[in-house]
Amino acid sequence: MRQLAYFFRQALANIKNNRLVHLIGMSTMAISILILGAFVLFYVNIYGWVQDWGGSASMSIYLHDGITRSGLERIEQVIKDCPAVKDYRYISKDKALQELKDALGEQSKLLSGLSSNPLPASFELEISVPERRLETLKKLAGEFQGLEGVEEVQYSRAWVERLRNTLDMIKVLGFVVGGLLGLGALFIVANTIKLTIYSRKDEIEILKLVGATDWFVKGPFVVEGMIQGLLSAGAAIGVLYIGFLFFCAKKTIFLSLAVMKLQFMPWNYVVAFVVLSGIVGAIGSLIAVGRFFEMARS
Amino acid sequence: MKKTEDQGNRGYPFRGHYSMIRMFHVRKVFGGNVALRDINLHIRKGEFAFITGPSGAGKTTLLRLIFGADRPTSGHILIDGINLGRISRKRLDLLRRKIGFVFQDFKLLPDKTVFENVAIALEVMGERPSFVRKKTHQTLRSLGLEKKETLFPLQLSGGEQQRVAIARAIVKNPMLLLADEPTGNLDSDLTKDIMLLFRTIHMKGTTVVIATHSKELLDATVQRKILLHRGQIVGEA
Repeated sequence: MRQLAYFFRQALANIKNNRLVHLIGMSTMAISILILGAFVLFYVNIYGWVQDWGGSASMSIYLHDGITRSGLERIEQVIKDCPAVKDYRYISKDKALQELKDALGEQSKLLSGLSSNPLPASFELEISVPERRLETLKKLAGEFQGLEGVEEVQYSRAWVERLRNTLDMIKVLGFVVGGLLGLGALFIVANTIKLTIYSRKDEIEILKLVGATDWFVKGPFVVEGMIQGLLSAGAAIGVLYIGFLFFCAKKTIFLSLAVMKLQFMPWNYVVAFVVLSGIVGAIGSLIAVGRFFEMARS
Repeated sequence: MKKTEDQGNRGYPFRGHYSMIRMFHVRKVFGGNVALRDINLHIRKGEFAFITGPSGAGKTTLLRLIFGADRPTSGHILIDGINLGRISRKRLDLLRRKIGFVFQDFKLLPDKTVFENVAIALEVMGERPSFVRKKTHQTLRSLGLEKKETLFPLQLSGGEQQRVAIARAIVKNPMLLLADEPTGNLDSDLTKDIMLLFRTIHMKGTTVVIATHSKELLDATVQRKILLHRGQIVGEA
């Protein structure tokens, strides 16, 4: 405990004495973390949205504009008789336009230039839970598509599944990018600490001459690297959050018919980011000081 | 029964003996140059000895080998019964805590105060901060440096810097004190003061080994003198 207090005292003094070197190192590391953070933020939002929307399998049956009353009733009867359909509602052309206007809010002015209503009337179906398999949905969609007066059938699962596959690829890409950025951060810390080690090599020599163990010498540098990692992560997350509040927090993104409300990454991700950055900083520092010892002994 | 380090074979064969330094056929070569050849030396506990000889005779090399700062090319060195060739790096670090070394160039840290320069020797031992403060103040006071505690080495005279270096070496009550040309840059009055200091430390039980080529210093002392010439011990007085 006493040694730990000494390590922290020394590390803070070192950071103060080499503040320019540390500032440059921390800024570079913070940029790496910021890039990774932005990536994670993007992933978290897309993934959350896919989870929410993908869980509720729905199907939209779009109707031809010129469909007759009897044609509409026939289609409704087929839907009613279908055991896979849990619930349904009919959305007329006017109602579809009104719902779009409501969803757009202030941006609904964009629609004022329209001379006619381009939206089709539709039936929105909610599929019962046991039938939410892609194959069943495909078959069902085929049956509805064959009905007279039906223009197109869309169902969420199909492209949610496709999106999930894409997300899996993005996840792998994220690990690769994260790994590379992590290595970059490690390299940055190792080099920053290397500079501070060289500026203190006389002190290290004297410490060793008066009987300091290797760990007594390494300790403050490891803490220094850890602090660098923690501060860099703190700054990066702070900038990311401010950026998020400024650009994204009040915005809603429309993806097809689904609305995605953007959210910042959960607090446990933030903690993980900060802790991992601290660990990367400590490891980077350990590598640098280890190399210095190896060199000094050779 | 608990196996002690003396019984093991980890560099502790002669605990409980009366030797502080033993060197057996020690040879040290730097590049192609032989710095020390076939050195056999025995310095007892509590002894006060000088190692002398002209510049380049190998005095500093000998002290560095005793301190474990360099390893001999061949031969064995035992310090307080511990074989330096067999101990781990960590044990060597721990051994150094019992040895004070006064370097010819003082090796003081210019960006640390006098107090910090001395306290460092206790801090590496993991001593309590209150003990470090007390012992450092006490040592600096005994060397007449109590008013210089907050100054930096470059604000001190050569003699004062030398005393700070000695303070750092003795603050931990070492069993062995090594000094490399400790009066090299000092006038005769300061030399006397410093030598008096070493005698006081010696009186308290510390083994003292001083490397010097100062004729003035050697003439004024009756202690054992080991004469080195071209890397060999050529005589004793």
